Amino acid sequence: GLRAEGWAGCAAEPGFSVRPQPPRSCEDYWWEWKHCRGLRHAFHHYYAHGELPACGRWLDDYEACRAWERGRAAAAQEALCKSERARVMEKQKYTPVWMLRKNPPPDWYLPLDQDKPN
Amino acid sequence: MEQGETFSSPAAEEKRGEPEDDFGYRLFPDRNKKPQSFLVRSLFTFHNRCQLMLRMTLDTNPYAQLLLEAMKQSGCTVFNDRHFSCENCDSCVGGGFDSATSQIVLCQNNIRHQSHMNRVVTHELIHAFDHCRAHVDWFKNVKHLACSEIRAANLSGDCTLMNEIARFKFGLKGHHQTCVRDRAIRSILAVRKVSKEVAEKAVDEVFDACFNDLEPFGRIPHSKTDAKRAYRDFQNRDRYNANL
Repeated sequence: GLRAEGWAGCAAEPGFSVRPQPPRSCEDYWWEWKHCRGLRHAFHHYYAHGELPACGRWLDDYEACRAWERGRAAAAQEALCKSERARVMEKQKYTPVWMLRKNPPPDWYLPLDQDKPN
Repeated sequence: MEQGETFSSPAAEEKRGEPEDDFGYRLFPDRNKKPQSFLVRSLFTFHNRCQLMLRMTLDTNPYAQLLLEAMKQSGCTVFNDRHFSCENCDSCVGGGFDSATSQIVLCQNNIRHQSHMNRVVTHELIHAFDHCRAHVDWFKNVKHLACSEIRAANLSGDCTLMNEIARFKFGLKGHHQTCVRDRAIRSILAVRKVSKEVAEKAVDEVFDACFNDLEPFGRIPHSKTDAKRAYRDFQNRDRYNANL
């Protein structure tokens, strides 16, 4: 299990005492690594992307997560956070095709027999 | 063969010198018709079968459950009787998303198996999710339509190897992307009066951005296991974002 003392989340400054967790549980990193190395996933990845998957990063993240849990070096926290932030940045590297809404469409809940104003 | 189509009300003005685009409505002749009486509808088993299979999908399929949860969090809670409609459709269409009425149409005469229902519902929910979270100009911007069709073909299971083999389309290395591209082009051509070149150009221009837009799954779900894992990750997003 996790223990709070002396830990902080990825974005916390030294001295903050809240968010004592890695972004994912360590079991999640382990699951991702095992899943990535499986034959079924290798096939799906080759079918979707034309190449075999690279799985080593999940193992690095798992080991960093475990080190974080045991209360060891800030280096492990930093490595894990850097890896996760890089994952987020990889997803954001493409220019969006459309603008995101701030609110849902106003007519989503309108009854079906109500005439829409033009 | 089946298709998921996206169509909008034909409110756009006629372009000069071109025939009016029906925006795909010809594929769904029961749209804008008065629904049949309950007695008549209940006599025909297609409608009942469609409703039962839809209920099964919404209750048990992890792809659909993740999308419903994501839409709820975006402010678009889906109600079965308001946002789904089982109707008779034309030829080989499996379903469609009507952005004018915010309804997903399911073709009760063309969906015969639960696995097909799962896939059509997932495909159309992806369109509905895009409609909910973004300003998608369904009938004036072909690139927007292309993007949603790429995402739906990519994430709904339309392009699994087995489905492609059943269509006599064979390929392995990176074939998923070929399938996604081809199905997106087909879907655009089915609902818009544009040339094949225009459809291909639109798909090619947005392909990289939209193929890699994996919301709300976060991964390409190749199986129900992947979809369940994606659902779990989605539910843990608050923790993930808070600790990043």
